[in-house]
Amino acid sequence: MRASSTRMPDMGTLALRVFTYVAMAFLFFPILITLLVSVNPREFILPPSGFTLEWFRAAWTSDTFVRAMGVSLSLGLAASVIANALAFLAVLGMVRYNFRGKAFINLLIMSPLLIPTTIFSLALYVFFARLGVGAGIPALVIGHSIHVLPFAVRILTASMQNFDTSLEEAARNVGAGPLRTMISITLPVIKTGLISSFVLCFVLSWNDFPISVFLAPPGWTPLPVELFSYIKFQYDAVGAALASSLILISGVAMVIIDRMAGLRRVMQR
Amino acid sequence: MKSRGAVTLLAPAVIALTIFVVLPLLWVVRTSFNQTVDGAYMVSAFTFENYTRFLGSSWYLINTLWFSIRIAVITTLISVLLGYPVALYIAQTRGLQRSVLVTMVLSPLLIGLVTLVYGWIVIFRGGGLLNSLMIALRVYDEPVRYMWDLKGVIILLVYIGMPYIVLSLLDSIERLNPSFVEAARNVGANRWKAFWSITFPLTLPGLYAGLVIVFTLNFSAFAVPLMVGANDTQMIGLVIYREALLNNDLPFASSLSVIMIAANATILTGMAFVFGKLILNRLEVKR
Repeated sequence: MRASSTRMPDMGTLALRVFTYVAMAFLFFPILITLLVSVNPREFILPPSGFTLEWFRAAWTSDTFVRAMGVSLSLGLAASVIANALAFLAVLGMVRYNFRGKAFINLLIMSPLLIPTTIFSLALYVFFARLGVGAGIPALVIGHSIHVLPFAVRILTASMQNFDTSLEEAARNVGAGPLRTMISITLPVIKTGLISSFVLCFVLSWNDFPISVFLAPPGWTPLPVELFSYIKFQYDAVGAALASSLILISGVAMVIIDRMAGLRRVMQR
Repeated sequence: MKSRGAVTLLAPAVIALTIFVVLPLLWVVRTSFNQTVDGAYMVSAFTFENYTRFLGSSWYLINTLWFSIRIAVITTLISVLLGYPVALYIAQTRGLQRSVLVTMVLSPLLIGLVTLVYGWIVIFRGGGLLNSLMIALRVYDEPVRYMWDLKGVIILLVYIGMPYIVLSLLDSIERLNPSFVEAARNVGANRWKAFWSITFPLTLPGLYAGLVIVFTLNFSAFAVPLMVGANDTQMIGLVIYREALLNNDLPFASSLSVIMIAANATILTGMAFVFGKLILNRLEVKR
């Protein structure tokens, strides 16, 4: 007797399928609604009566939002560059060498994922207050970089483990120095890992609210915090257009990450 | 020297994490014994005042600590009830269908909280979609309040928590050897029996991993209660946020963090104990 796969879907499988699609609707509905509201000419009257980019135009020409986008863009880029630089070196060290205390170092590197974000943000806030500088651009950049570091380490570890080190040895044998070997062999080979790691770190930083709300200095507000203060006082479709812009950018990032590294493996805690 | 290479490569990350994670956490513990004096920002001291102010107050204990534990337990359990069947179904799918489903499950994790909350506000509002739907289905007649209400907080915490549950369960369901379930079916167990005697016990480790993540996440949540909670939604993470950023009372916020981590660790230890027993018992019976 063969397993259920050869039979027609029975009641159990059917029930499971229906349940799953209802759950998917639950997960996807708020995202869909935001997208619909942002292109609907009549504010919040659903179903949509037409199509307009008016709200998007308003969102993308607002001085406050454009400024916040600049902040989030610089912050996301800075955080992913810093996190990936640290992660790249650390992963090389972890994958290529064996030493005592490796498990401990690994735990330390993954610790930003294990500590609740509230505590992590508060700890940095208290720490920078102690240093006398308080919340500011350095605190914000460091907070974001450290928070995304474990994700970069995870993607880069996966791509480095499949790395055939004989390629590097060959380069060294024909006379390339360590730096030259790194640039012309190591980096190109793990290129897809690096790209998806950059994209993931960027999008996590770009969408972050909890850390930013603790550490962002006045006058340097990232987009999600700006969106939050906007929807607190103003409830209109311009907010929806801004939220949709964030969704669209995240969507593009998700496709890239999924193609290159597999979304699921990357998000596992 | 081979190990010198490892030291050089690991040093930047290790130093960064020591300075910006370990030291700040230790500093939070130290700060929790400091004193906040009216007019002054914070005075170095060694007092348990901040702890007794919270732990000695039945109001705080009931409305903040116990309240947060209850909300975290409820939302985590609902996430499991919703997430388990989804993980079971996704594990049966292949190819494109699976990757579409996985992407849909994961999308809330990558799309930021504020963005998601925007969609939920549209759904939650007085005359919003949820109320229209519920009234059309005759679940109730008058619009119900979800926004700035505990109901909204619970829905959102489940929403954010469920993907993590699906993810960690999916992982352990896939690791499960399908021939075990087939064997049970072949000796006459029905689907339900096969699930309870084979699949469920063997996925307990994955379930446990998911519970740890989601409970910790929801117990410490501050962004969700900040964005959709009411005044009486005094979850401990939110109180920490308010004391630190709005009242500038860093010592009190720090002591609350220590209390929260201690409570979380205690609950997780209890959970580990229960799961350990559960897994052992199940395996004993099966032998």
